[in-house]
Amino acid sequence: MTATDDTAAWPRETAAAAPGTKGPRAGRSALAVQVVLWATVLVFCLVPLFLVLVISFGHKIEGAGWEWALTLENYQRFFVGANWPAESTSLYLGQLYWSMRYAVVAALLAVVTALPFTYLMTRQSRRAQAVWLVFLLATLSLSEVFIVMGWDIILSNNSGLPMLFAATGLTDWLKDTGWFDVLRDWGLANPRNVKFKPSEVATVLTLSYLVWPYAVILLYPALSRLDPSLAEAARTMGARPWTVARTVILPSVRLPLIGTTLLLFVFLLGAYVAITVFADPSQHTTAVSVYEHVRGSTLNAPFGAAQSVILLVTATAFLVLGQWLTRKSPRAA
Amino acid sequence: MCALALKDIRKAYGDARAVDDVSIDFPQGELTALLGPSGCGKTTLLRMIAGLEVPTAGTITLGGRDITRLPAHSRKFGMVFQSFALFPHLSVRENVGYALTIAGTPRAEVMARADKLLDLVQLQGFADRRIGQLSGGQRQRVAIARALAQEPEVFLLDEPMSALDAKLREEMQVELRLLQQRLGITTIVVTHDQREAMTMADRIVVMSKGKVEQSGSPQQIYQWPATGFVAGFIGRANFMEGLAENGKIRVGDVLLTLPKPANFLNGAPVQLACRPEAIRLGTSEAANTVKGTITFVRDLGPVRDFHLDTPLGKLVAEQGADQGRNLKLGDTVPLSLPPEALRIYPRGIAESPMGMAAE
Amino acid sequence: MLRALGAIFMSLAALVVALPILIVCSAALNGGRTMFFPPQDPTLARFGEFFVSEPVWTRALTNSVIVAVGAATLSVLLAWPIAYRLWKTGSRASTMLATLGSIPFAVPPIVFGVGLGFFWAFLGGLGTIWAGIISHAVLFLALPLVTISIGLQAIDRAHLDAAATMGATESVTFRTIVMPQTLPYTVSGFFFALVLSFNEFIVMFFVSASSFATVTLQIFNSLRNGYTPTMAVAAVAFIAVSIAVFSAVARWGDLPRLMGADQSRN
Repeated sequence: MTATDDTAAWPRETAAAAPGTKGPRAGRSALAVQVVLWATVLVFCLVPLFLVLVISFGHKIEGAGWEWALTLENYQRFFVGANWPAESTSLYLGQLYWSMRYAVVAALLAVVTALPFTYLMTRQSRRAQAVWLVFLLATLSLSEVFIVMGWDIILSNNSGLPMLFAATGLTDWLKDTGWFDVLRDWGLANPRNVKFKPSEVATVLTLSYLVWPYAVILLYPALSRLDPSLAEAARTMGARPWTVARTVILPSVRLPLIGTTLLLFVFLLGAYVAITVFADPSQHTTAVSVYEHVRGSTLNAPFGAAQSVILLVTATAFLVLGQWLTRKSPRAA
Repeated sequence: MCALALKDIRKAYGDARAVDDVSIDFPQGELTALLGPSGCGKTTLLRMIAGLEVPTAGTITLGGRDITRLPAHSRKFGMVFQSFALFPHLSVRENVGYALTIAGTPRAEVMARADKLLDLVQLQGFADRRIGQLSGGQRQRVAIARALAQEPEVFLLDEPMSALDAKLREEMQVELRLLQQRLGITTIVVTHDQREAMTMADRIVVMSKGKVEQSGSPQQIYQWPATGFVAGFIGRANFMEGLAENGKIRVGDVLLTLPKPANFLNGAPVQLACRPEAIRLGTSEAANTVKGTITFVRDLGPVRDFHLDTPLGKLVAEQGADQGRNLKLGDTVPLSLPPEALRIYPRGIAESPMGMAAE
Repeated sequence: MLRALGAIFMSLAALVVALPILIVCSAALNGGRTMFFPPQDPTLARFGEFFVSEPVWTRALTNSVIVAVGAATLSVLLAWPIAYRLWKTGSRASTMLATLGSIPFAVPPIVFGVGLGFFWAFLGGLGTIWAGIISHAVLFLALPLVTISIGLQAIDRAHLDAAATMGATESVTFRTIVMPQTLPYTVSGFFFALVLSFNEFIVMFFVSASSFATVTLQIFNSLRNGYTPTMAVAAVAFIAVSIAVFSAVARWGDLPRLMGADQSRN
């Protein structure tokens, strides 16, 4: 008899028996602890988010702060502009578009490059894995300001890559071969030299770099549980490495892959520093706008709150979509 | 005197009954083995005795006192777990002294007592080791010493040998039995290994599907299995299906005689069991003789098994190494099933022990 | 062939990941006030400025340490009863509580930051370091919750039974078995929260209301004026702390397990 089949149900059984062993005093203090825990979590985790929602319906007083109200003017402003129907603007919708565009592209880029890396990492010894994890966690936890600082030095026009391009003659070579014009078309060059700031490429690369360690960490559990004998079995049946990857590895990590992409997407929606440093002001995001309105020059807290709500709703919508996608999949069970 | 008694103990998970109205008395100072296949409820029963689970119904008494609802930490029962459950963050001595330490015993006294217990299980000099540095056998000794530290009224062991390799297991069975006899402590061992049960136990309780099939001394259980299940589970048995006919049993074309006429109605379906070592080969003058063809010979050294095709069906006969030396594969030999070696059980309906059971 | 390709890919990835960090670190050696790469007039003077002589930075560093240590301690203290209850009962209410406690970490930090800004404005805590500590404790509650839960799940239930048969009540078992066996996981959770709090600035930006600054927030606030080599010193210090902390977790805890690796394989 294995202990498990006999004892599977026991924790709850013993828990049910426990009251007999405790005095009513112990029961009451346990209850008090529960109440305190619930109150703490509700007050500190949920009330701030609830306030954002409530204030998004508030009204800004010109030249002062704001007041409680139940108005949709902030949402109206977001979707069609403050002076609608006289005139309409898609400025804020455009910002949301850029939020999503950066987030989607950067998340996909990170996941696509992190997947083979993570797979190779999990095939290494446990000690080597631990070293990699320390390295990845250290970069992952590193503040966005430092990472942007590093990329800024690499990409800025008077140091780093553009200078390196000019000094090594790469710029001239690009001009000779005609690639320079292609780069100009992509917005990666000014008349004299290549430039990466501001550009969408630099923004996406930095954002992708920012979440890349997250992608590895999130894919790590699924890939490390992948039974190596599966791939070996496929190999013995004559499958080539690429066929193995396509028919064995990819299908078995499909769900974590989708989940990871979604989480990175949600994370990237809130990116701020990388956008302000690397993106053209015409291509700024909702997150940047939230700063401007809540703490920046324009000071319109209710509108900032409304934008936060829309950001949150967008994130939730994508997560729900992901849930729906994974539930629809036949392999979900 | 009866130390521990279970009365109509039941454990139900939803509709399923893991333990179904079990009543057992555990005599003072004896070692009782709860024996049965996986999932028969023996571990659940042991956990209820330990106080780790509460029975759905029934009562457990210790020396006449009802302890059914007494939690585990208030019973003074020592228990050895299947995985030994030694605490990896404590040393060997701290593990053994755990019960005394948490009871507030002075440190010097705990250490002295732990060292004495380690002597008892022959682990002198291991007191300061970490659990991870011990072999399987050493871990088991630590687990035993730890369970004995609080001088338990009842000593419980849940599959204590299953984590050991076969050779070590047999040694530990003897050692544990000697230790138990020396301490004279009421002991209950849960096991699925009949050899283990027969080696150690004063008394064996055979369980199946949450019920007690039979309880008795190892010899009683082996010689007089109360049910077909026990006959099959304890040792080996050849089973034959037949019909009662005028106090005899018809199996196929053969009419088998019994030592005394069986109490079955004519035509009642019955099951016959016969131990392989009871079958005699090469003697044609005895009762219940048929001819069989040898289909396989399994030489185990001290004994040999002959697999035979007979009019009674396929049978296995066990012979000593010096018997039947000239028999070989393909030979047709007479074999006899001595009437006194035949055990008979009703078939098809709920078994109730017949006149041939224990006593 | 394939193996070589894999090795090349991994080294390349490591190089790209390390590159901006190495560049920032080397920029800390710049002699002038501007970030150059490679550094000009290499000097260690910026380290002195950051750790000793510049009050802006020393004050920010002190604030960072206070907030990070306070927040990590608080989040571990809050996470323990939630995780313990979840493990002990597995009830729906305790699952719900743990989920709610993880929400702040899951929403975009800017949204939670805006919310906390409003929240502390109402409570009158806006701009106090206490508000900063509590805000980070709540934000990073999910981390010790997860590590402690993993640690609790790693406890063999037979150990609890064994303790009970030896006379241990629930509270004694907790003290003598559960706590010691989950200590590495508790410490890991503490360190995860500590390091992330150290590096976080978005929520802190809204909560501090410009009346105090942590190191990363100070850098964020002076972003418009450009980077200075002293900020790069901060980066060096923070990377050193991260590597030290995670190495410690890897050394004394089981990092692959914490990250969700399969236990049955090595």
